[in-house]
Amino acid sequence: MAGQEDPVQQESHQDWVNREYIEVITSSIKKIADFLNSFHISCHSRLATLNEKLTALKRRIEYIEARVTKGETLT
Amino acid sequence: MPLVTRNIEPRHLCRQTLPSVRSELECVTNITLANVIRQLGSLSKYAEDIVGELFTQANTFASRVSSLAERVDRLQVKVTQLDPKEEEVSLQGINTRKAFRSSTIQDQKLFDRNSLPVPVLETYNTCDTPPPLNNLTPYRDDGKEALKFYTDPSYFFDLWKEKMLQDTKDIMKEKRKHRKEKKDNPNRGNVNPRKIKTRKEEWEKMKMGQEFVESKEKLGPSGYPPTLVYQNGSIGSVENVDGNSYPPPPLSDSTSPPSPSFSEDSLPPPPAEFSCPADGNQRGPGLAGPKRSSVVSPSHPPPAPPLGSPPGSKPGFAPPPAPPPPPPMMGIPPPPPPGGFGSPGTPPPPSPPSFPPHPDFAAPPPPPPPPAADYPTLPPPPLSHSGGGGAPPPPPPPPPPGPPPLPFSGTESLSVAPPLSDATKPKSSLPPVSDARSDLLSAIRQGFQLRRVEEQQEQEKRDVVGNDVATILSRRIAVEYSDSEDDSSEFDEDDWSD
Repeated sequence: MAGQEDPVQQESHQDWVNREYIEVITSSIKKIADFLNSFHISCHSRLATLNEKLTALKRRIEYIEARVTKGETLT
Repeated sequence: MPLVTRNIEPRHLCRQTLPSVRSELECVTNITLANVIRQLGSLSKYAEDIVGELFTQANTFASRVSSLAERVDRLQVKVTQLDPKEEEVSLQGINTRKAFRSSTIQDQKLFDRNSLPVPVLETYNTCDTPPPLNNLTPYRDDGKEALKFYTDPSYFFDLWKEKMLQDTKDIMKEKRKHRKEKKDNPNRGNVNPRKIKTRKEEWEKMKMGQEFVESKEKLGPSGYPPTLVYQNGSIGSVENVDGNSYPPPPLSDSTSPPSPSFSEDSLPPPPAEFSCPADGNQRGPGLAGPKRSSVVSPSHPPPAPPLGSPPGSKPGFAPPPAPPPPPPMMGIPPPPPPGGFGSPGTPPPPSPPSFPPHPDFAAPPPPPPPPAADYPTLPPPPLSHSGGGGAPPPPPPPPPPGPPPLPFSGTESLSVAPPLSDATKPKSSLPPVSDARSDLLSAIRQGFQLRRVEEQQEQEKRDVVGNDVATILSRRIAVEYSDSEDDSSEFDEDDWSD
């Protein structure tokens, strides 16, 4: 009896080991995917803020240039 | 329902039928590991995509920053060279210099096909293309693309554009009418001495906040002021108040696009019914039923219309259907609803009930006589293709004001109004007005031919003019704003001239 169970038991034990290994890998994949998503979102939002600042800056510069020029063209 | 942008591909690792092997557990393990590797592959592909997108954006910003930095440097140099004593402070200098105009570039076409992210575009490309209905286009009589009756991506924009253009025309007509009336009655001002127009009332109304302002006609706080002048003086143009004001072009895609936006307006049923059947015809019989039912219900008590609500608030369909004769048209409602698709004759029937309470409306005098002639002009062609022509796109037909006892021809004329605009109708049918009363047939022929030519001209004009949201909106706002300004300026002139 013990002889018969051993290979089966070994096999199932090995199977469980393999499954745990696969589980570790898949959970790390999910973590990577989460990280990528949050990275993407945060970068987008920061770039958008930056975009707004650049636009505001550009408008102010245009205004100042208009104030400062006395009819000559800006080189 | 959110769309998934990036989908990592083998979704299920080990849900597969196994080949018949002795050691099944090992088999499953191996299959699972192979799928894990495929998942890692797609993950890396998406990671590269994400990072690449961010990289390109950051690059554009970098170039912008560098150009701005250059400009700042130049300005810095220049400012240090400024000498207050040398400044030119003459009055002529102030006037001759060009006024500063900041560049008001509005972002447009944000959600276009081109700005779709690549992964979503790939998903989109895996879908089936629509059937090649455009092969049938050469066989059509009215020259429209056959695919547009099946699926038309630009439908909503075209609808909105028509409405906007219509509104601008109406506003201009009203202006002309006002001027005409003033010229006709030069002594009108003397009889009723006008109150001095001050802004004090307006400012007081706005004292408590913009939300509590009640308009003259007691529309309520959500009434529609033509130009929303906020307290800090800036002008709010696109304020989507119940969708009553300029509805943003991509209306939420419901089956009955115009009806929600017109829900509060005085004329919801006619335009909605008119455009919905039109849409229904194009979209297929299946949709016409529900649409019709959804639209018919609000039709019975058209809400006591906001009298004198500024003309601009009316949907584009309102102006042309100026009060058609209720009695003749009343006979029409019963047949068309069961009649089905080919007859957008339903719009005129509901419109009569709503129109009588619309005295304020500047149903311009030119339209009354000409549309009378229009209706006689249309019967013969409609009779030929009343069923097949399909309902026309949005432009509503001009209503027969006054007595023209041609209800039948009226319905037919509505069914065949190919891309006609209303402005053309007054002009085109002015010559045959007198004929219509005497000789119907010749008037029909003349009117019809005349309209065709003008139609082409109108279309060409429209194609030339800018086709984007910003220009259309800006034109509309300009017309409306200048309209109110012109009125006030004309009043002022009267004041001074007296």
